[in-house]
Amino acid sequence: MKIKFAVAGGLGALVLGVSGVQAAPHCGLGNGQKATGAPIKVGAVVGRTGPDDFSSSARAAKAYFACVNENGGINGRPVDYLIEDDQWNPEVAGQVATKLVKDQKVVALVGNGSFVEMSVNAKLYAAEDVMSMASACAASECFESKNIVSTNEGPLVSSVGAAQWAVTKKGAKNLVCIGLNIPSVGQYSCGWTEKYMQSKGLKASSILMDPGSADVNAAVLQTVASGADTVLVNLPAGLAAGYLKAAQEQNLRDQFIWTSSTPLYDRAVPDMLGDYWQGHITVNIELTPYDGKGADATNWREVMDKYAAASDKRDTFSESGYLSAKYFVNTLLKLDPTKIDRPSVTAAIRAIRNEKSDLMCGPYYVGDGDRHQPNHANMMAEVVKGGFKIIGDCTDVNSAYLAPVRAEEKRIGLAP
Amino acid sequence: MAFWLFLMSGLAVGALYALGGVGLVLLNRATGVLNFAYGALGALGAMCAWQAMQWGWPEPCAWALSMAIGLAISLGFGALVAPALAKREPIVKALATLGLALSLLGVMNLLWVVTPRRLSLAYDALSIDLGGLRITATRLLALAAGLAVTGLMGLFLARTRVGLMMRAIAENREAAAILGAPIRKVEALAWGLSGLLAGFTGMLFGDLVRLDPAVLTFMVIPIVATTVVGRLTSIPVTFAAGLFIGAVESLSALAPPLAPFRLASPFVVAIFMLLWLNRGRALTFADKD
Repeated sequence: MKIKFAVAGGLGALVLGVSGVQAAPHCGLGNGQKATGAPIKVGAVVGRTGPDDFSSSARAAKAYFACVNENGGINGRPVDYLIEDDQWNPEVAGQVATKLVKDQKVVALVGNGSFVEMSVNAKLYAAEDVMSMASACAASECFESKNIVSTNEGPLVSSVGAAQWAVTKKGAKNLVCIGLNIPSVGQYSCGWTEKYMQSKGLKASSILMDPGSADVNAAVLQTVASGADTVLVNLPAGLAAGYLKAAQEQNLRDQFIWTSSTPLYDRAVPDMLGDYWQGHITVNIELTPYDGKGADATNWREVMDKYAAASDKRDTFSESGYLSAKYFVNTLLKLDPTKIDRPSVTAAIRAIRNEKSDLMCGPYYVGDGDRHQPNHANMMAEVVKGGFKIIGDCTDVNSAYLAPVRAEEKRIGLAP
Repeated sequence: MAFWLFLMSGLAVGALYALGGVGLVLLNRATGVLNFAYGALGALGAMCAWQAMQWGWPEPCAWALSMAIGLAISLGFGALVAPALAKREPIVKALATLGLALSLLGVMNLLWVVTPRRLSLAYDALSIDLGGLRITATRLLALAAGLAVTGLMGLFLARTRVGLMMRAIAENREAAAILGAPIRKVEALAWGLSGLLAGFTGMLFGDLVRLDPAVLTFMVIPIVATTVVGRLTSIPVTFAAGLFIGAVESLSALAPPLAPFRLASPFVVAIFMLLWLNRGRALTFADKD
């Protein structure tokens, strides 16, 4: 399947190169007709304002829905996409989700990206039986709830993926995970990374930082005191930048193997980190590279160029938001447009099986299980001057945490 | 060895709290306003300085820009908004500055998309080794600036005529006016000086903490804790409180049960210090109690 995508993408690029015309992105029905029917309300909750901007997933989903609305919509019905900011505040997260689910009566949520929203609202989504096709999940509830399915992997799988790479490729023996001191985020992802290391007979520890902490120096000193040979930076990019700067201040680069989970996979990061870190830190990427040549990678960039603001990030979570929106639209296009309501949409989303894209290492599916983690294979990249160099192919993550997921995949016939 | 390293690291962060606290107390002593926009002024100055450096401005010009922005906005607020609130309760004045802080944060979010950024200053390249811990010249600058500002402001308030008028106005605004103190001019000077300091502190925070408008804006909260210890009047006590709070916050990392609560250190210290400073006093709810 991937080879077919690559050939199609290559031919497309050749045709465009000859004609000199920029490609129009393909979305939904792709018929070029504006959707004018009754709008279908879809929601999203993101952490836009707070310690970091975690909204690129919803921005990409918004761009894709705008493209769909100009190309026939959902069999003639446009998507009315309502995005709310949870401000990284659990109370606000609950309020805005209630507003979307109970007041606006959205049929589903798509493209959610937050550090707090899922922990707060998982029960609400289950009680109201509304599905959230999230895209930038960080908390355990994201992957352990019946009504939430995320396209991204989350910090647990990404962290274990980075640790797995450090162990198998760099011979890491003792790893320290630098995570966020947010319940069900830091302990969850760093905790399972520790378990992975222990399962290999190796040592590991965790240092958890508060998102708003001014004192990153203490975390750096704790890192030195940990006795580790490998540092896994599992923080939002802004905080990671502060931590790495403090580590640079102490000239610790050559004392450790440095690796990171996905948040550092951001175009701005290599230049921001500067020469000191280039060639010395690797990053796990939850989806495939943002400059990939496949059909979906190309279409995602074209959708963003045409329907999103130039300032909207083109990062992993943007890829993830695009994919969630695309899978959602593909699912709704199979329904009778006159009978689209929450129960029919929830049932249709649960029935998603084996959706494939060059933006993901494995297939996407949902199912009826009590937890969902369709994406659990990832790649590694190295920070180099001006960007990232891919240094590892798609690799499935080896963690006991995924045992129930693998059992479910076997049950529904996605795995042997 | 670990204790020493964490102590030094904490003092380096504490120097930032101290420097911020001194700027807040200076303004409060002259105008009676607790300026919650102090962090936002510094954040805006640092963001503009970063932007200017991205455009190729030399670093000294970026420093000047940051301080000029702090000065201009603080002076503007002091001249246009603060006089209208002069007779209101302290809480109303403080809330007005909180409004300014949130407005400035909104402007920053509008002007700069949230993305990882780094402010690197020339002093970062210089460092000394102190018992195994590298201290950059930027951190030393923060400590030296805090000491210098504390000393100079103490002298200014105690020994100069304008300083005397500032103290008189803070004590009793009406009486000072009757005695001929040029209230508007003196308050404008205090707002200007405080803004200048906010711009300077913002550059150091942007470099040493991280260049994030929201984080820098809300840095004012732990800084307020240092001023509470100094009872919003004593510059030397505020400076010492800043250093102490930084040290406690850092050393908490050595005690695993306390480590998750390190962020609360400024407030815990402030509460205990207030209890200690008020020991033996009877609470009567009377004025000036």
